[in-house]
Amino acid sequence: MEPIPRNARLVRRAYWLIRIRWIAIIGVILATFVAGRVLVLQVSVNQIALYCVAAVLTVYNSVFLILLNRAVKPNGERVFSAVHRIVSVQISLDLILLTVLLHFSGGVENPFMIYFVFHMVIASILLPAWESYLQAALAVCLVVLLVLLEHQGIIHHYCLKGLLPDCIMGDRRLIVVMVTVFTTTLFMIIYMTSSISTQLRDQEEAYWQANIQLKEKDKVKDEYVSRVTHDIKGHLAAIQSCLEVVVNRTLGPLNERQSDFVGRAQKRTATLANFVRTLLRLTQMRLSDKLEVHEFSLTETIADAVSSVESRAQNKSIVLTTAVGPSVDKIVGNKFSIEEVIVNVLLNAIKYTPEKGAVEISAVDKGDCVQIEVKDTGIGIPADEIPRVFDEFFRGAKAKKTERDGTGLGLSIAKQIVERHNGSIWVESTQGEGSIFKLTLPITGRHC
Amino acid sequence: MEGVKILIVDDDTDITDSPKAILEDQQFSVVTASDRVEGMEKFKAESPDLVILDVMMDTWQDGFEMAREIKGEPEFKDIPILMLTGVQDKSGIDFKSTAGDPTWLPVDGFLDKPVDAEVLIAEVEKLLAKA
Repeated sequence: MEPIPRNARLVRRAYWLIRIRWIAIIGVILATFVAGRVLVLQVSVNQIALYCVAAVLTVYNSVFLILLNRAVKPNGERVFSAVHRIVSVQISLDLILLTVLLHFSGGVENPFMIYFVFHMVIASILLPAWESYLQAALAVCLVVLLVLLEHQGIIHHYCLKGLLPDCIMGDRRLIVVMVTVFTTTLFMIIYMTSSISTQLRDQEEAYWQANIQLKEKDKVKDEYVSRVTHDIKGHLAAIQSCLEVVVNRTLGPLNERQSDFVGRAQKRTATLANFVRTLLRLTQMRLSDKLEVHEFSLTETIADAVSSVESRAQNKSIVLTTAVGPSVDKIVGNKFSIEEVIVNVLLNAIKYTPEKGAVEISAVDKGDCVQIEVKDTGIGIPADEIPRVFDEFFRGAKAKKTERDGTGLGLSIAKQIVERHNGSIWVESTQGEGSIFKLTLPITGRHC
Repeated sequence: MEGVKILIVDDDTDITDSPKAILEDQQFSVVTASDRVEGMEKFKAESPDLVILDVMMDTWQDGFEMAREIKGEPEFKDIPILMLTGVQDKSGIDFKSTAGDPTWLPVDGFLDKPVDAEVLIAEVEKLLAKA
């Protein structure tokens, strides 16, 4: 699971609170309707007032939704404090509305009084512990005020006749016990849920911070690799230039053995230079956040990629065929990177396909995206190696035996490029029969 | 050093052929093999006076296993084994300090890759003199 920053977490939960309130509004309307009509209880609740409360809830939930949408637009710490304020006010308003709701439906006699507990849990999840305790204090004050006003006859008390045997408003002792139990329950709930949610919040935050640190360290590592490989590349180029002079016999003739050893050195240096170049390309790509995109013809790019690997296929008498669907045309992306992906996948297929085999590249239009497939009649990949095929530096055991030279980076570069284009790449393979590398690329550059 | 036979076992022919050329230049008779199986076959067929082994062959302990196999036979235990290593940096194990340990690594000496001609000749001569 990808860690989420603190702001995004709060915003996500703020929307969650608004969604829950829509459910609560439907609940209030249904409960009022059921109590009055379906059960035909002799409940002396004020139904019109209850529908009005539901209406008020609807209005302020809509207002908060608008406020929340506005608050999440700018970035930074201001979002957090704005959303935090909105959440805090919402919970307080909810408590007031629930008290009003209770007043019109039996006051402390109404079993729905237990719903204060939900608000306490929500407060503990969304707010710091001290604010949750303040919300609990507000809830207790509201209920005590309601009881006092109803008991003193200052406001009307709606008895739940038909649901309870008798109106309990007259029983002072029972009311005191109920309010005491109610108060302790709320504070206990806040204490318990706050302890858990604070712990979880801290863990989430630590997880998030650790992830940021890992990314930073990874970047430092990439910069280091990039510098080192750059330096190695320079020395290698110098070695290659010196060897070139000897191999070309510019300085005089070589005997057969000398020529053999210098030739081997040249070949191994070329392999290393290729490795270093590929590693540098991969590291620089990881370090760069930018991807220059433009519209280009995928059909032409596939043709270019195929022509650049044709000689390799011919050397092994491999039949290389292309089948591009008629509706495949322009896509948005980086032409050179996409060509590199296709070349890498094709070279990989040619490398691991025995002589006189076949490699086929096809492309089909899939609506929002194009699917490219490179199918070969090569050695195939064992099932246990398939998940690691795109890992950096990974080379399969059989692949190493078939072809000694290989960096283990070609497919990782391909994956990086495809993912940067919001596409995906995967492989299907049967050992001994061949592999099909499949990749999808969105036509517009956005996810398909 | 005519008549002295040396077996070099390494899966990389570019690595086996360089010491081969260096040693042949010193009049040693050199036989090469590219894996453990071929190495053991040639060892038995050619009866070399010294064996040069690569630590990493097919699996990274192939060289160790072959050294143990040779030293495990009483009749071969005095044949010196020189191990070529390029894995020290990668594994973090100080092979040199463990040289000669009869169970862990029964070899008589170590040389880092790439092989320096003078060091190789000196080390081979030293081991042959001991034997």
